[in-house]
Amino acid sequence: MEQSQQAETMADPQDMDAGKSPPGWRILLTEVLRDKVALFSLLLVVSIMMIVYLVPLFLSQEEIVRVDLFAIHEPPSSEFWLGTDYGGRDVFGQLIIGTRNSLTVGIGVTAVSGMIGIILGVVAGYFGNTVDNIIMRIVDFFFVLPTLLIVIVFIVIVPQYTVWSFIFIMSMFLWMGIARIIRSKALRERELDYIKASRTLGSSHLKIIFTQLMPNLSSIIIVTMTLNLAANIGIESGLSFLGFGFPEETPSLGTLISYATNPTTLEERWWIWVPASILILVLMLSINNVGQALRRAADAKQRRG
Amino acid sequence: MKKFVRQTAVTAGVVSMLTLAACGDEATETEESDDSGEDTAEETEDDDDEEDDGDDDDEEGTEVDEDEEVDVDDVDEDEVVSLDDFDQVREADESEVLEDGSLTAAIVSDSPFEGTLNWNFYHGTHDAQILSWFDEALLSWGDDFVYNQEGAATYEVSDDNLTYTFEIHEDVNWHDGEPVTAEDWEFAYEVIADPEYTGVRFGEDIMNVEGVMEYHEGEADEISGIEVIDDKTLEITFIEANPSIVTGGIWSYPLAKHIFEDMPVDEIESSSEVREEPIGFGPYVVEDIVPGESIQMSRNEDYWRGTPALEEATLQVVGPNVVANSLESGDVDYVESFPADQVVDTMDAENLEFLGVTDRAYTYIGFKLGEWDAEAGENVMNEDAKMADPALRQAMGKALDDEAVGENFYDGLRWDGTTLIPPSHPEFHNDEIEGHGYDPEEANALLDEAGYEDVTGDGFREDPDGDELVITFASMEGGDTAEPIAQYYMQAWEEVGLNVELLDGRLHEFNAFYDMVEEDDEDIDIYQGAWTVGIDVDPDSLYGRTSPANYSRYVSEENDELIERGLSDEAFDVEYREEVYNEWQEYMVEQTPVYPTVYRADIDAMNERVVNTAIGDGTGVYRYEIGVTEEEPVTN
Repeated sequence: MEQSQQAETMADPQDMDAGKSPPGWRILLTEVLRDKVALFSLLLVVSIMMIVYLVPLFLSQEEIVRVDLFAIHEPPSSEFWLGTDYGGRDVFGQLIIGTRNSLTVGIGVTAVSGMIGIILGVVAGYFGNTVDNIIMRIVDFFFVLPTLLIVIVFIVIVPQYTVWSFIFIMSMFLWMGIARIIRSKALRERELDYIKASRTLGSSHLKIIFTQLMPNLSSIIIVTMTLNLAANIGIESGLSFLGFGFPEETPSLGTLISYATNPTTLEERWWIWVPASILILVLMLSINNVGQALRRAADAKQRRG
Repeated sequence: MKKFVRQTAVTAGVVSMLTLAACGDEATETEESDDSGEDTAEETEDDDDEEDDGDDDDEEGTEVDEDEEVDVDDVDEDEVVSLDDFDQVREADESEVLEDGSLTAAIVSDSPFEGTLNWNFYHGTHDAQILSWFDEALLSWGDDFVYNQEGAATYEVSDDNLTYTFEIHEDVNWHDGEPVTAEDWEFAYEVIADPEYTGVRFGEDIMNVEGVMEYHEGEADEISGIEVIDDKTLEITFIEANPSIVTGGIWSYPLAKHIFEDMPVDEIESSSEVREEPIGFGPYVVEDIVPGESIQMSRNEDYWRGTPALEEATLQVVGPNVVANSLESGDVDYVESFPADQVVDTMDAENLEFLGVTDRAYTYIGFKLGEWDAEAGENVMNEDAKMADPALRQAMGKALDDEAVGENFYDGLRWDGTTLIPPSHPEFHNDEIEGHGYDPEEANALLDEAGYEDVTGDGFREDPDGDELVITFASMEGGDTAEPIAQYYMQAWEEVGLNVELLDGRLHEFNAFYDMVEEDDEDIDIYQGAWTVGIDVDPDSLYGRTSPANYSRYVSEENDELIERGLSDEAFDVEYREEVYNEWQEYMVEQTPVYPTVYRADIDAMNERVVNTAIGDGTGVYRYEIGVTEEEPVTN
């Protein structure tokens, strides 16, 4: 959701001009509010986010990842709400901080890759012809790359990586889809009369792009980014699960779940991996529900439009 | 050429020592962190297992010295076990053993086995595990690691301890029916000493044979020290007599001359007779190999010790994470080197049996004190090294609660390491030396005294010059415990005021780790490794001045002298040798160029129906005896 807010801000300047007709984001919002499942999902995501971003202010990550030899594999108790892992580390704390890290990466990657994708997509779609050709060939090139492999290799090579370098590396290879979608939409828009009129009246390209083209792309941008957010959280967790994500002193949902690759943990120590798995499931489903509602709204607008 | 030879030799020597028993360790590598160390660097891993692997087949004597050292017994927590709870041998009446039984043994590994299936060429512990089923050494050894007369060959020593005469049993034949001859044995030496030889066995023990160097350099057509007296009799003359010769100094794996004779030496390793249809004279014959995955074997009716108990045996690679489940469900019957951190979780299974023995290995923290001078072929200490002060090294050792690590991470199957000769060598391991124990207060006192004080008040000590002291710690990944243990060590050091950081902020993959340690990567101040020691206690290949595997690069004259005395003529007297090694152990505790953290148990796990097997050296139970008592694996 934060995501959409951000996208919103970008689109803002234009909204003032177009104030008369109901702005795109309001239609999206109405759609979400009307769909009870989506609304519930939205609330759930927002509250999870509040928890995972606020609670860590009172938790020390250092304390949580501190190995305690004498508390290995403790079951849930009043001291350790969700028990401890094989290093005697509190699973509840790891869950909270891990969710925060996974979400941060997901949001960060979505924002950065979205930014790149939108810029390239709009430029390609708006200018068309040679520019379009060049940019789309670049996109094709990136599409052909075995992205996941390259990300893994990067992560292995980069000596010290943090949440930020992680976001950067993943974003480098995840912007192409967005660029394509935006570009196809922009291509269609540029043929419409309002753009042509504006052009004839002598508006600059920048002005047209920001005040006229972008607002009309905003709904598709919001929808795409929301759905991407769910996928990106999944990618981070997946990499961590495989051992190519964060090091263990940076908790992550994927790391918690990967403990379940040990059959004994899988069978007997549910507290380590079940909560993390459920949380991922809930997060993904919720974000997806919201995204689907937004998509419906966007479609409706097009039909109307 | 000469230099190259020397290097190779040294390397090989080293390796051997370090090395790993093939059989045992492999599991480790995969799953437990430290272990990895041992399997480690491939170089290490393989070499000399000769002795080791052999064991399965060859040992005799009886067992069990191991328990004496296990400190774990005093611990009462229910989850903790000690080696006292494990037998070393599992025997059954012959009448109970099925005549046409078959079993499936697991090779615990995350990756495919390499498949260099010849003792003279193999590289990895997994290959060694496979080899031990279908091939064996001509000599076997007892629980004191000294060659005995129970193997496929017997031997006599001349009075000057220089000439050994071997007699191969009449009925020892290769799987294709050809007899194993003295020429095959000589051929093995010739191939290893050949300049084109591609394996890693060309080490000091081989070079100690008269005429090997001349042969290696092409100055002689044959090795003057090796003489074939008749088909089954061989005589080997050594250059220097030392007590190590009878504890692993003889290469006793013949190479089938009738098969490999016409092959260029550098092509043998890749030939199909090594890779696809390997030959041996062990209890089982290889029928079929699925490269990297599994091996099908059948009984060798012509086996010299007697008829092997099993009709068929299958070896297959099983991942460390699923091996416990596979065992419980009966998918596999027999697992050598079962992952230590899963033993307690698995022990309750009613259909499983476990055997255990003290592993010939230890895990340690090494302190980088210098570097390898390749030109001179020796280690050179750097007086300005960050870890140069022995007080600092001792304090770091005292800061660690190894006992707790062993109990909590390994359920008591690892325990506090004290000296550099592990308790698997009971005559030489001195259990009166207490090592550094766990004493953070004394660690603090030592550091204060040595001038490491917190001048800036940031909670971390500065070095005696008042400069910031950040110690870089390299450790390798592997298994569930690697990470928390490394974290624990850093916390423990932090508690005595030392700022220790992981190299690059993370654990390293095990080959990369060993490459860096070997190359004396400048960023590494300390590292955690593990190794398996050879059956011979001589520490030269791990701690000698000219050993490239002396990764801490520690050298001192006193150390040289002690090592030399341990190999002198007088050292044939075991008491004298014990004394020397006692002194050496004490000296190394004082100097602490490496700090042994934990000793380890080696555990085999098997289905209830598997009998007549043993773990460790000198048990008198041989591989051909292993059998099953029921048609199908027992399941719950």
